[in-house]
Amino acid sequence: MTAPAADVTLVVPAVPDSIAVIRQTVSGICEALGADARTVGDVKLAATEACTNVVLHAYSDGDAGTIELGAYAHDDELRLLVRDRGAGMTPAPMAGGLGLGLPLIAALTSTLTIVEPDDGGTEVSMTFALRDTFADA
Amino acid sequence: MTGAGRIETIVVDGGLPVIVLWGEHDLSTAPELRARLHDLAGTGAVIVDLDQTTFVDSSILGVLVGGLRRSREADVPFGLVVGDEPHQAIRRIFELTGLYDVFPIYGSRENALAALTARGEAP
Repeated sequence: MTAPAADVTLVVPAVPDSIAVIRQTVSGICEALGADARTVGDVKLAATEACTNVVLHAYSDGDAGTIELGAYAHDDELRLLVRDRGAGMTPAPMAGGLGLGLPLIAALTSTLTIVEPDDGGTEVSMTFALRDTFADA
Repeated sequence: MTGAGRIETIVVDGGLPVIVLWGEHDLSTAPELRARLHDLAGTGAVIVDLDQTTFVDSSILGVLVGGLRRSREADVPFGLVVGDEPHQAIRRIFELTGLYDVFPIYGSRENALAALTARGEAP
């Protein structure tokens, strides 16, 4: 299957300081698409958690890697792809976190798919409804 | 740095230090928060003020949970200030993770100081 052309793409180094760059980017995309404040916050948090996973888990110490962001808007839905070119999903017992990253992403997204592409790395696909279905209820 | 938050440790009336987080915080500022919490290990109470914080992720929550655990082990009161009207993003992540029920949370720095210096952790 051929991936659709990304509305926005961004490639940044897989380092902690890049996470804020991704977060500001997705925030701007959401606001440009007219998303409500809660949705903007949810997208920012999910993107942050996905990028944090890349920084902490994707690359071996000393390896210079990247985080690739793709953002696709379609009707009232936003799809984000967060991709690395690392070693795939591996446990990191020394990371010291709470293990909340993926559960948070799952709670914040309409759909969540994690795949290990044939050419390496991990790709996290997240979709978000841009407007709260129940806002006018 | 784009979007990076700022962390300061201030000393309030009565001599207690308070760690204050401004702006957005994630993996990039988690080590500084962890270090500042360690620096407060010998104080009479640990207070982290999130009233001016607009974003935290699970990295920051992990550091805060670690600080709470160490404080309890040392029998030092620990409290978070999130304000009576916390920023939406702060309220959201605490609700999603259930951590509102884990931390002693106060609506103002003054309330936290009054409660924790009296050795009462319940808000």
